Amino acid sequence: MSNANNVFGQAYSLTVLTPIIDGHETELAEYLDGLPSGDESPLAGVHGTHFARWVVIDDVIYQGPDQGPREHLQHPRLLFTSNFDGELEPYLEALRTGLGASADTIWGHCVGYPGRDEPAFSRYLRHHQIDSSLFFAAYGDRTVEDVKRSLAVRAQLIDFALRAQGLAAPDLKAAFLQEFAA
Amino acid sequence: MANVEGKATAITVLTPIKREGPLVLWAVFWAGRHIKETLKKLEQLSFIHYARWAVIERFPDEGDGEELGHEYLLFESNFNGTWDQYIDAFSEVVPLRMKAIWGTSYGFPGPLPVEPFKEYIRRNEYVANHYWSAYPGFTTTEIISAEHVEAALGEFQAHAAELEPEAFKRAYESLLITIQHDL
Repeated sequence: MSNANNVFGQAYSLTVLTPIIDGHETELAEYLDGLPSGDESPLAGVHGTHFARWVVIDDVIYQGPDQGPREHLQHPRLLFTSNFDGELEPYLEALRTGLGASADTIWGHCVGYPGRDEPAFSRYLRHHQIDSSLFFAAYGDRTVEDVKRSLAVRAQLIDFALRAQGLAAPDLKAAFLQEFAA
Repeated sequence: MANVEGKATAITVLTPIKREGPLVLWAVFWAGRHIKETLKKLEQLSFIHYARWAVIERFPDEGDGEELGHEYLLFESNFNGTWDQYIDAFSEVVPLRMKAIWGTSYGFPGPLPVEPFKEYIRRNEYVANHYWSAYPGFTTTEIISAEHVEAALGEFQAHAAELEPEAFKRAYESLLITIQHDL
């Protein structure tokens, strides 16, 4: 169920670790490595995502004899993490619909992936979820839209301030009101 | 392989926790969530967008999860700047906290000197296969500055239209001075 430690402000930290089908880790890693970045990334279609990543974890790393006998994962794992806006359930739905066929291609390499039918898809991700112990967000009360809007406003004001240098008071006021009409 | 997206860098670290570690971590993370000073320190590290720690008792599978010989500590961060600057800052600004957290993991050499610490992180780090940011061109500081600018501009706009031109100009210039460090 919902764990408060996953949340900071309105931001949620999702961590999902799914076992990769034996022998599929290279193919999965190559597929993920080859995904386009930026607006072409499948994650660009998942509303509310600030930052997200997929990481193929082949095995755990041995720290030497202090640790005792060497440990190995029975199956490699796919780590998916996301820092997103709002509640978990709507976000899982955003993943399901936003990733589309990419979700199947990626998690299709994982043991027990049921496909994108609901409620199986969101149940699968929740079953493999790890709760955060400590989550920090520098601007956890700001949604993706908030951040982008603020950045655009800042850019607009910088641009205006440069253009408006030296304007007499009446012209300045008129130009400002035109630029920043409510 | 993509630990970098625009100005953002991803770090993903997974380390085995010593036997007594989980209890210590429980207390350290409890303090982290409840003592405001802890978060203030993180805010001082003004280049972190989002970071998390998670304790993995069992690696999830179709059943009750796969139990290894130890529990594992997962750390992920999204920050701007270089990897070296990031670890340097951890080492210099919050060394005690780094020791309290990673000191519960096997093999941690301590936060200082920084070179063995970096070597430890490098050895236990996984490179992201795909990394995505909604605003890759911007740093944490720029985002927080933009929030200040938008708020100040909003206040100014609320009464700007009512001001006489000369008073408007003075208020406008005063606005720019107030937010000059955020522009």
